[in-house]
Amino acid sequence: MSLSDRIPTLLRRLLRPGTAAPQPPPPDQATRQFTARARSFRDLRAARAGALKAMAELETARRDGRPPSMSFIRARCTLATVNVFKIIRHCNQIVDAHNDEPERTFSRLRQRIETILEARREPVAGKKLLDLVRIDRTLANLSGEKMAHLAEAGAIGGIRIPPGFVLSAAATGLFFQRNQLYHQINHILQQIEIADLEDLYRKSAAIQELIRNAPMPPKLETLLLDRFDRLIDAGAACRVAVRSSAIAEGIGPTAFAELYRTELDVGRDSLIDACKTVLASKYTPQAISHRLAKGLLHEQCEMAIGVLAMVEARVSGVCHTRSIGGPNDTLDLFYAPGVAKGIVDGTRSTGHLRLERQPPHRIVERQEAGDAIEPWLADTEAAVLAEIGMRLERHFGAPREIEWSIDPAGALFVLQSRPAATAPTFAGPTPPPEAGRPLLHGGVTGCDGVGCGEVFVVRTVQEALRCPRRAVLVVRHPLPEWAPLLHRAVALVAETGSEACHLAILAREFGLPTLLSMNRATELLANGALVTVDASARAVYQGRIDSLPSQTVDRPDPLESSPIRRILAEVLDLLGPLMPLASSSPGLRADRCQTLHDIMQLCHEQAMAGIFECSRRAGSGQEAAKRLHDTLPIRWWVVDLGGAMIPGYDRSRSDIEITDIASPLLHAFWTGMQHVPRQKPAASGLRAAAAALFRTARRDGLAPIRASFFRQKNYFLLSQKYCNLSMYFGRLFATVEAMLDDRGRDSSIAFRCAYGPADDSRQSRRIEILAEVLEHFGFRTARAGEALTARMDQESGPVFFDRLKVLGYLVVHARQLDAELAGPIRPDRDTCIQAIEEMLHHE
Amino acid sequence: MSEQTVQLEAALKIHLLLVDDDLEFKEIMQRHLGRIGIHLSVSACCLDALDLLEAQSADVVIMDMNMPGMDGIQCLRKVKERWPLVEVIILTGHASVKSGIEGMESGAFDYCLKPIDVRELIEKIELAAQKALINREDALLVPAAPSVAPQPKPTP
Repeated sequence: MSLSDRIPTLLRRLLRPGTAAPQPPPPDQATRQFTARARSFRDLRAARAGALKAMAELETARRDGRPPSMSFIRARCTLATVNVFKIIRHCNQIVDAHNDEPERTFSRLRQRIETILEARREPVAGKKLLDLVRIDRTLANLSGEKMAHLAEAGAIGGIRIPPGFVLSAAATGLFFQRNQLYHQINHILQQIEIADLEDLYRKSAAIQELIRNAPMPPKLETLLLDRFDRLIDAGAACRVAVRSSAIAEGIGPTAFAELYRTELDVGRDSLIDACKTVLASKYTPQAISHRLAKGLLHEQCEMAIGVLAMVEARVSGVCHTRSIGGPNDTLDLFYAPGVAKGIVDGTRSTGHLRLERQPPHRIVERQEAGDAIEPWLADTEAAVLAEIGMRLERHFGAPREIEWSIDPAGALFVLQSRPAATAPTFAGPTPPPEAGRPLLHGGVTGCDGVGCGEVFVVRTVQEALRCPRRAVLVVRHPLPEWAPLLHRAVALVAETGSEACHLAILAREFGLPTLLSMNRATELLANGALVTVDASARAVYQGRIDSLPSQTVDRPDPLESSPIRRILAEVLDLLGPLMPLASSSPGLRADRCQTLHDIMQLCHEQAMAGIFECSRRAGSGQEAAKRLHDTLPIRWWVVDLGGAMIPGYDRSRSDIEITDIASPLLHAFWTGMQHVPRQKPAASGLRAAAAALFRTARRDGLAPIRASFFRQKNYFLLSQKYCNLSMYFGRLFATVEAMLDDRGRDSSIAFRCAYGPADDSRQSRRIEILAEVLEHFGFRTARAGEALTARMDQESGPVFFDRLKVLGYLVVHARQLDAELAGPIRPDRDTCIQAIEEMLHHE
Repeated sequence: MSEQTVQLEAALKIHLLLVDDDLEFKEIMQRHLGRIGIHLSVSACCLDALDLLEAQSADVVIMDMNMPGMDGIQCLRKVKERWPLVEVIILTGHASVKSGIEGMESGAFDYCLKPIDVRELIEKIELAAQKALINREDALLVPAAPSVAPQPKPTP
């Protein structure tokens, strides 16, 4: 029995395991059936392209290390899953026998993907209001890190904190839940074009408005106001500060560093609005960008709110118990009159003292603010602050950043105590002589390092929206508002601010070279000028100074082990590899599918088998699969899925000519197959290759590459803009699938080939040459054993068709490589490329 | 305007119904579809859309999932129950695997996410319209099957 005679039996075995073959329908019905199935196959292909595109975008995000948003991951997973669902549905419309197995596997995988994407976190349970004096770090999941650390600091003898209470994360969670805010917020977040800053600001404003307009649950409102009244009754000032206390805040390297709002001088009447404003600040542009850069989920960044009595501040400041820019045995104190806000947002000129960490905390460096008439902070007060700072460091076991105020009576209050953010270390060299005289020199180093780029001065939000990528960002004040620009910049220069300001803390987290307090920077640095910022040497130079070690600072990877990255990795495990080597995979069976990609491939193959089988039954006794004439001794079969043949061709014929085919895709491929290199006329070309293959093509005992009916027949499934070619050349099995989109966006060419079981040592080299040639022509390749996969996406026009010619050439000549590898002149990549270039040039 | 679109529109006289309360999106769609001569009706909520389908036929419905008055999936089910030959494209700004699969299981032709490239959406509309045409042809071949239009109102 010949191979072609065995096809019906093999098909039935493949498609209907264990069942009897159905009786073929009458001819007219069979033709209609074929048309309907061809249509389903077209829809299946479109769904497959959609699924592959979504999977590829996720894979690219993982590979490139770009920070994807959760909305991005959710959207792509949804598209991939929905499209695989469609593929299964279309496949079932094509094949004769319904197979439940892919559906069961799909259902299982889909549920697992849903669970991962939900990233469900149990709502925080517990008291809605907490007294500050009853909190410690064990309650941080309820009170937030900031309030827990503050309360614990207050419990240390000799350290005072303002009286107050905390609206817990359980309470704020209830506020979000009752108003169904996360659902609405996700709706807006999905549509944010994060690269478009204007869109980011607009959507951020919409979300914040949504939160501010949502009603506080009445019971919570009553609780809040009652507790406020009790605070006042206990003798506290009648104004309070309303501060965020995020659950994720201050954990490890992740510091939100006042990206969230603090409302000061809040009275009873405005308490509820102030709480909602602070909650809304979770969605400022800077907070959204920061979460994105850190790979954090907004639903998981819960927030509690601290309500603290206002301290009437004579002088306030920040203490870093480990000096930011000084020797390791020193600490820094930054201070200014009044409240500390001007220091942390960098808008105030500040005094700076550097003290020894060891008692008696001798002052080693003093820098009074330019506008200070007399010292704002007495040396004795500085020593007390240093002592308190070191006690807090000892208590918490790591360097701290402490915000404090001293009232007119001299009472010192700690307002905040959190782990200090650490900067990447950088041994700044002395500027080389060729650097010349700097444009600017001085200031303070916010973060070490060197960055080179064009100056972009930002004074307003409108200007910020136009900030280009890889700019040297120059601002007057290092305000938190500029945080979304940090990931675009190569360096930051500000006219004011100190190492203590929160933008500097963020810059250190990103390893962004930063210079602060550079007087007149916005005047002296012209927009568009190319400059090199050497933050370590506190200098800005004109032009690019190549001898400075740009990019030598190891920037921390903010996404490392972030929740987003974990989720992305988990879902990709279930979606499957982008470039599987399915042609060599032994697992392409319904009961062995482990990923959505496996299901997709299985359905695709089953659907093709179904189409082929149906094509045999279609028409009045004539097969819909036409044999391509004049290709003896290799048999080629063509199935028209619609629009592949020239108008008016005689459908009743069982044999067709290549000229009957209109598909430009096949013609390009065919051109490559037919090409005969000038150097090797005797052994090349389709006819020669076919003759050489004739003896082996039907050789018994060739082990199958996989259990597929396609290896039994060379066939082309064609439509106007799609082709699926399956060829079996001796021991080489190859498939080419090409989809043409005129705009190029959804165009793709996928090539897979595999050799039969190894019977000589030349196979590795053969696959290697093929891969190298394909890569030369722009394909991405992947190998597994003796199988090779290559892909090319988003090409159109002449390039698309040229690449099909390349594949046509390679498929025919791959077999010939065998002979050449055994001969005296070893073929190499360059010879092969040269022959193909010649073909492309002459065609 | 692509040649394919012209031919398709001429052949089908596509009648679209857009169910969306997003004014900006409605205007964009009206502008683009108007250019290629496809008739577009608009409803701002699901209940209005059902009334409109009662009053006049449609080949394809584009439906936002988050609409006031009725859950999008419920609305889709009602449309497919009453007018099974109408093809529905779901559009949502709130992607979720669950709602996507629910939508497809309830008979949606496709499930798309906002923001969407209008050209891409028009391509999907063309495919849905082709499917609607085939539905109509099939319904004619099988007399028992319901037809698209005109469709009688259900008796109270």
